[in-house]
Amino acid sequence: MNLLTRIATILSFLGHYPAYILAYIIETLIVIIFATVVVAGMVYFFRKYMARVQMRIGPNRVGKFGILQVMADGLKLIQKESIMPQGRDDLPYKVAPLIIFIALIMGFIFIPYGPLAWLGTLTVTHSDVSLVILFALIAIMPIGELLSGIVSNNKYAVLGSLRGVAKDVSFEVPMMLSVLAIVMMASARNASPLDLNGIVQAQNIPFAILEPLGFFVFLISMAARASYSPFDMGESDSELVTGNTTEYSGLRFGMFYLGLFGTIFLGSMILSTLYLGGYNGPFVNYVGFIWLLIKTLVIVVISLTIWLSMPRVRIDKFVSFGWKYLLPISFINLVLTGFLVLGGIS
Amino acid sequence: MESDLTHKYIELNMGPQHPSTHGVLRLKLTLDGETVKKVEPVIGYLHRNAEKICELDFYCDALIYFDRMDYVGAMNMEVGYLEAAEKLLNIEPPERVKWIRVIMAELNRIASHLVWAGAFGLDLGMLTPFFYVFEEREKVLNLFTEICGSRQETNYMSIGGVYQDFNDKIIYRIKEFLDEFPKKLEEIYNLFVKNDVFISRTKNIGILEPEVALSYGVTGPMLRASGVPYDVRKDEPYLVYDKVNFTVPISRKKDVLARFIVRFEEMRQSVKIVKQALEKLPDGPYFNPKARKSLMIRLRGEGDVFARTESTKGEFGVYIVGDGSVKPYRVHVRSPAFKNLSVLPYLSRDVLIADMVAISGSIDLVFGEVDR
Amino acid sequence: MIEVKEVEEPKRIPILGSIGGMYTVFKHLFQKPVTVQYPEEKENQGDRFRFRIYLSTDDCVGCTLCEQVCPNLTITMVSLDKENPRNKRKIYPSVNFGTCTVCRNCEEICPTDAIYLKDVFETARTKNSFFYSPTDLEKNEDEVRR
Repeated sequence: MNLLTRIATILSFLGHYPAYILAYIIETLIVIIFATVVVAGMVYFFRKYMARVQMRIGPNRVGKFGILQVMADGLKLIQKESIMPQGRDDLPYKVAPLIIFIALIMGFIFIPYGPLAWLGTLTVTHSDVSLVILFALIAIMPIGELLSGIVSNNKYAVLGSLRGVAKDVSFEVPMMLSVLAIVMMASARNASPLDLNGIVQAQNIPFAILEPLGFFVFLISMAARASYSPFDMGESDSELVTGNTTEYSGLRFGMFYLGLFGTIFLGSMILSTLYLGGYNGPFVNYVGFIWLLIKTLVIVVISLTIWLSMPRVRIDKFVSFGWKYLLPISFINLVLTGFLVLGGIS
Repeated sequence: MESDLTHKYIELNMGPQHPSTHGVLRLKLTLDGETVKKVEPVIGYLHRNAEKICELDFYCDALIYFDRMDYVGAMNMEVGYLEAAEKLLNIEPPERVKWIRVIMAELNRIASHLVWAGAFGLDLGMLTPFFYVFEEREKVLNLFTEICGSRQETNYMSIGGVYQDFNDKIIYRIKEFLDEFPKKLEEIYNLFVKNDVFISRTKNIGILEPEVALSYGVTGPMLRASGVPYDVRKDEPYLVYDKVNFTVPISRKKDVLARFIVRFEEMRQSVKIVKQALEKLPDGPYFNPKARKSLMIRLRGEGDVFARTESTKGEFGVYIVGDGSVKPYRVHVRSPAFKNLSVLPYLSRDVLIADMVAISGSIDLVFGEVDR
Repeated sequence: MIEVKEVEEPKRIPILGSIGGMYTVFKHLFQKPVTVQYPEEKENQGDRFRFRIYLSTDDCVGCTLCEQVCPNLTITMVSLDKENPRNKRKIYPSVNFGTCTVCRNCEEICPTDAIYLKDVFETARTKNSFFYSPTDLEKNEDEVRR
């Protein structure tokens, strides 16, 4: 039983096919709402966590414990005038934040959320290649970053997007190689290794234990993808003002901002799905979704701690780190995984 | 040549409003991609004419303008001015006052270096240590509130004395602070130097050869990090620095990391100095009766004096000419941050922007002092 | 001879050092925040903290010493019609708090202790209303017209 059939059964008075189509739409909407809420919650959590780690209090004026602060900030950003630079390339300038935001929200659709009590499995997409689609969506996001930098007619923004692209190029190959190792491992146990759901089910031992090297590479890649502190070359807060988002204001800036925090959450979710066994855990049929959230939260806390305690890596050092260390490590990981699979780990 | 540069390279203005230029420094960069080809610092955005204003006021009033020069290390500025002014006016402060001034100057050196470390971390993108150092600095400033009545621009010292005397409560609180502080300092220190990324950002960056440093007039921790053991506190002791036992930290690595480590070692030495000073603090009056309060505006000086002290940034020199009236004829300041800034174009040739930011952060610029 | 200590670069283990730093940062999560929520809670300012200038017009002799010693023309003497046998010229100091640097020179030099500072610091004003006449300086902060 899954959420889709639950909704379809409730809507069964419409007939078989209309009920299922409507159920699909409703489920997708639920996930999109979930994603938006989670991203907003992520912003609040970040601000509160950062404040407490830095011995401050954090937002506490709007609502109880400042919970409504994110909403207040959002309203402020919406009603603010969006100041646009002269000499910009208008269409890409306006499309860039949308690309990042939409790709991010769509990424949430492909995560296997796992079962939750009466609702059943919450997974929306039952595609056999959801892994591929997910990483394709993630690969779209750098385009927004690149566009926002080069079209906003600002030298800081150009330098920021140059750095961003150099960063993206250097970590994506190792990232995909470590994902390939996951697929190899899953294929030894499961018929559909490209399906995220299948990968989760194949993990009676979490893959992080079987491939610690891959876990390390993927953690760094996800940090670089979300571009927070050790790898925030695109933004380079203290050197290039705010890098590629320098010329954005109002809601468009808000989209970049939400995109950053959403990517941290999405990356943590993918990481816990691929390496920490996703929704697997005791009483999986009742609280699988909760397990996924707990694992994600742990990864988020680790990510934020990295963010808050590390200085920025210099871009040339990161590029050489990506090609000289991450790539060989991910190859070694691939070979080791091959041995494990041949050795009959399943 | 000039037009050639503009066509081939990107010209970029960093500052005066930019997150990494401390205060209001403006840097005109000529970039080849990410590489900095030329840096031209532009100063003067915080020029307040302090030297000229000092000529218009009594000797006792000039102190508040010195407070506002290096506003993170105000006590050292006061010491520097009073060294010169007391020499000119022929007023010798009592022994107890000298020890009190040493304590205040060294506490402020700790505060100033802490602020520098936090700001330097922010330059490199480290968000959190900034708050830890500011919490420690806040403790120093609370001590100052207890002692002087105000936090930063204290106007604590006066000609021939100090504003109010130390009492048992103050001495107890300073000792309490000194007991806790070294542990916290090590924690903050490890947060920086044990971090691989921090090391990779600072090691072998901005190498400053000692010959170059001397020819540019660089002083203070920057010079000592280049391996030259020059410290006015040792070379030409003022106040009672010859009676306390401390060492001058130097490093032969010459890079940004060396400057960082030297500054932290200086803080440890400052703790040592304050501890000794608290033990040796003699009894006695806290002002010279020749400069008592009702005579504040009647002090006359003639001749010219130059006095140099070791401020938090380097060698701080004050030159005063008196013409026999109650106001100085001329006041000139040799500000260490200004001289240290002059070496920035040399250091940041053919480095990346990120390194340029690290180098300009390592100089410890306070713009109240550079522009005066 | 100068005592010189050559500082060494610290020994560190790659990656583990960074993780130690992360742990230090994480540890602070459980410490009490140091923020003072200003309008609701107020920090203890210490015994010697001074900010607001007060004037006792009964004691003031109008000697203009405070005006002379004031470094940046914060204090100017104004005439005030008040019976005071010691103040024949009937001039009293007025203070522009917009420029006051709290150097406390006026308090120190005053021969009759007529001008003194107190630890009242909440003197927020709208622009151009920092000027306190001698009668304002006598009153408490909440009695002065805004």
